[in-house]
Amino acid sequence: MATNAFLLDISRCIGCQACTAACKTGNELPAGTQFIQLIEQTRGTFPNLEGGFQNHRCYHCTDAACVSVCPTGALFKEGGMTRLNRDVCSGCQYCTDACPFDVPQMVDGRCSKCDACADVVAAGGTPWCVRTCPSDALRFGDRQEILAEAQSRVAAIKERYPKARVYGETEAGGLGVIMVLPDDPEVLDLPANPQVPLLVNTWQKVVQPATMGLTGLSILVTGVAAVIARRNHMQELKLLHKEEAKADESK
Amino acid sequence: MGKVQLQISRRTFLKSALAGSAGLAVAGGHAIPAVAAPEGSAEPPWFYRGQIKTTYSVCDMCPWRCGITVQSVGDRVYKIDGNPADPKSRGMLCARGQGGVSFMYDPDRLRSPMLRTGERGEGKFQEVTWPEALDAMAEKLLAIKEQYGPESVAVFGHTSGEFWFADYFAQAWGTPNAAKPSSSLCTSPREEASNLTLGFPVGGHEPVDWEGLRCLTLIGSHIGEDSRNTVMQDFAKAWGRGAKVIVVDPRFSSVAAKADYWLPIKPGTDTALLLAWINVLIAEKRYDADYIAEWADGFDKLAAHVADLTPEWAAAITELDPELIRTTARVMADSLPQSLIMPGRHVTWYGNDTQRMRAAYTVNALLGAYGREGGFYFNKSPYIEAYPHPPFAVAGSAGGCSAEPGAESAELPVGPSGKARADGARTKFLRGATAMQELIEPMITGEPYPIKALIVYGTNLLNTVPDVPRTIEALKNLDLVVAIDVLPMEHVAWADIVLPEATVLERYDELWTVAHKTPYIALREPAVEPYADTKPAWWMARELGMRVGLENYFKWETAEEYINTRLQTIGSSIEKMREEKGIIVQKGKPYFADFKGSSPFLTKTGKIELYSDELALAGQDPIPVYTPTEDPPDGFFRLLYGRHPVHTFAKTQNTPLLHELYPENELWINAGIVAAQGMKDGDRVWLENQDGARSGPVKLKATERIRPDAVFMAHGFGRNEPALTLANGKGANDAQLQTRYILDPISGGAGMRVNFVRIVKEA
Ligand code: SF4
Ligand code: SF4
Ligand code: SF4
Repeated sequence: MATNAFLLDISRCIGCQACTAACKTGNELPAGTQFIQLIEQTRGTFPNLEGGFQNHRCYHCTDAACVSVCPTGALFKEGGMTRLNRDVCSGCQYCTDACPFDVPQMVDGRCSKCDACADVVAAGGTPWCVRTCPSDALRFGDRQEILAEAQSRVAAIKERYPKARVYGETEAGGLGVIMVLPDDPEVLDLPANPQVPLLVNTWQKVVQPATMGLTGLSILVTGVAAVIARRNHMQELKLLHKEEAKADESK
Repeated sequence: MGKVQLQISRRTFLKSALAGSAGLAVAGGHAIPAVAAPEGSAEPPWFYRGQIKTTYSVCDMCPWRCGITVQSVGDRVYKIDGNPADPKSRGMLCARGQGGVSFMYDPDRLRSPMLRTGERGEGKFQEVTWPEALDAMAEKLLAIKEQYGPESVAVFGHTSGEFWFADYFAQAWGTPNAAKPSSSLCTSPREEASNLTLGFPVGGHEPVDWEGLRCLTLIGSHIGEDSRNTVMQDFAKAWGRGAKVIVVDPRFSSVAAKADYWLPIKPGTDTALLLAWINVLIAEKRYDADYIAEWADGFDKLAAHVADLTPEWAAAITELDPELIRTTARVMADSLPQSLIMPGRHVTWYGNDTQRMRAAYTVNALLGAYGREGGFYFNKSPYIEAYPHPPFAVAGSAGGCSAEPGAESAELPVGPSGKARADGARTKFLRGATAMQELIEPMITGEPYPIKALIVYGTNLLNTVPDVPRTIEALKNLDLVVAIDVLPMEHVAWADIVLPEATVLERYDELWTVAHKTPYIALREPAVEPYADTKPAWWMARELGMRVGLENYFKWETAEEYINTRLQTIGSSIEKMREEKGIIVQKGKPYFADFKGSSPFLTKTGKIELYSDELALAGQDPIPVYTPTEDPPDGFFRLLYGRHPVHTFAKTQNTPLLHELYPENELWINAGIVAAQGMKDGDRVWLENQDGARSGPVKLKATERIRPDAVFMAHGFGRNEPALTLANGKGANDAQLQTRYILDPISGGAGMRVNFVRIVKEA
């Protein structure tokens, strides 16, 4: 399967929320659930201002923390996208804690996040959000083509935004959403260096082996699993925080 | 074997339903293997639940009316997408358009015709049958006609079914008192300024030739917040190409954040800025001199008029840096003639709005923008014959943004008993489409003659017309009030007869004919049956017509018959239009070359009239003059209002999907003021205007994005109708705080940005 990616051109997005609405209707999301949130950003003081919109959504990380910690395989990688099979989600909430971008939410006791419109794409269509974006701020396709498009857009806006850059090519092991940023990531409320490797490594090498026996059970008995898994998870979190503290000390 | 084939055909079918125009996946032909419908406990996605039916229609979630494809399975609509064949949507939609399904399935919809049982305004009704409701309406209308003449019936129409009542029925019945809020409460100044200056109106779709545009100037236009789909698309493309953007706005709007130059102007002073720009263009000889020599009239008078109106003069008025004024004039001139000021849409601001618009068009003329590639194209209406009805009892439509371009004649049309419009045209104001707010007065005073009945089609009366207390008084005075609507908007409680309408996804409508660079015609067909006991407007207008002696106008029995009769005149039919994806595109005449030597300007001089004899004769300024508007008193802020990208008018606040995305409006207020007054972001406050009218509570949005002398809120919130279960009581209501307006003496527009509010902490 080809590796796909989204293009998200933050410099071009005008905050209209057509993407949010198209996603909600196309995916029949229940009231209160949104896979994309537009958050107004303002920098400076009147009248010397800059601003735009943060487009908060699943970034489909290549080394996805949520996938690494998901004990049931509900979250998985496919074609560059971070997919979700809600049917096998046990509701353990590992993913909500692990995601460095705070993306997965719990809806009706199960994980809920952008599934990259996998069914639509499989049927030959385009993700709903991409299809409707009036600003051409969103695209979807082959990761290499998307990356090239992002680079050419950055080149085109350099005069207007000297600090313009591509984000997501390598950050956090590469994101499935390649962004065109008009400014430095920190300024736009994005981590300059998302700390995913530390988190995931800690998790995989230290924390999960310690509790794996119990978590394995959850795959079999989903009903009870959430409770057990949640309890395990609380222990794991404690361990994790210890590891993090260690890491901090050693800095 | 059979199974495989089924999968293939389903997949092909899905492809046509799901494939869009945007995105690399489809454009690049990315073949990703199809998966079968997901199995297991969860319900499969809607597009696997059965055969998808695609219906071509036209969105009605805002007045822009993008072409849409409506996807339904069985008797349920699931998704609306942009129709790729449509020149406006081009396959995309805004958030509101996406919310069209949610609008239709709003559980608060009106379900049945009703007759009033309690006092008017009490909102007590009994459900009745359609014949009962229509018989009652017909009887009352005929009695009023008998006693006062047909002109005593006013018809207010808004949204895309307005044609059947505010145009077709009103003209057949014989009242010149049909009005649309899209005129005097929105675009009249922009249209009349264009008629006076260029000899033709702007028309619904601002004729910006976006493809080659190199410099865009916006004055109070909020692209992105005003989320007209096509404009957002065109703006994004032009911006992406590197076109310069100049935004004049007291507020750092979404589009101001994309601008190369933002001019945070003092509200109400735009004409001073425009005159200073004209001064720079002329003084520095940066205007298109050849173009002006060939196509403009009155240049010398204009040059003399602005000789002293320097950036320094304007700076003192506008509170802008004079160098910024000078620089932006030069930036505009650097890109001429691919440089222009966009007319914008809602321009009824201060009561001198026609003059401001004429000043903007003067800049555009100096930039040589009209009729030039990358400037303004000349739009053209599509060719199609009207339905062959007998001559109307009163000709001349109510106007409005969907009106056909037409010259203003010296004589106002009169009704069968010899009465012209009661809105004061030619006395209180000079010209233009019927002024809705001026029809309220005769309902109260009986002058110049009484208006006794009001049919309100889709107009959100109490959230649209300024001076709500006066409108309430008028409602109490009338002999008959009929409300035709989809939802129980506030004024519905004041009706004697309520007629519930089917939404656009459930009905046929008049063809949508669009004056455009490529004139086109769009078809609206129903995707599903009307909800409960609702009916389309064409059916209601016809049934009513048959009951009041207008049978001759309603020889057609169905909307299909009406539409097909019209389509026949261009060799088409509903059937053929379906095959052509619901759209017929014709050839336009966009540039000078297409006029083969004759002038495209339809003024008396055949030129762009920088100096207007017509205005001089009427005692108005022949060249725009800056007239100051009153400043807010101490402790008060000027109340500005506008749009949020997911809402339209006062129409969508109760639509579940859109309500979720923006449930209540906020009061934008300068962060420094909030801190100085000991308040904080998110505080809930009440607003009181200069006349003591109150609205709230509303959340403070403490922001650097607005000047300290003004506050801003999205229009359409702060609703007072419990039957609107989601919208009721959320936020503040700008219309309630607009107890006054200033009448534009030229166009009849109601300038509404002349209200001031102060913040009070409790109700
Ligand atoms: S649809 Fe496009 S422009 Fe609108 S908010 Fe989404 S990404 Fe931004
Ligand atoms: S890709 Fe699909 S699921 Fe993900 S945000 Fe876009 S529309 Fe929603
Ligand atoms: S701009 Fe949006 S709401 Fe308006 S017609 Fe187009 S899609 Fe519909």
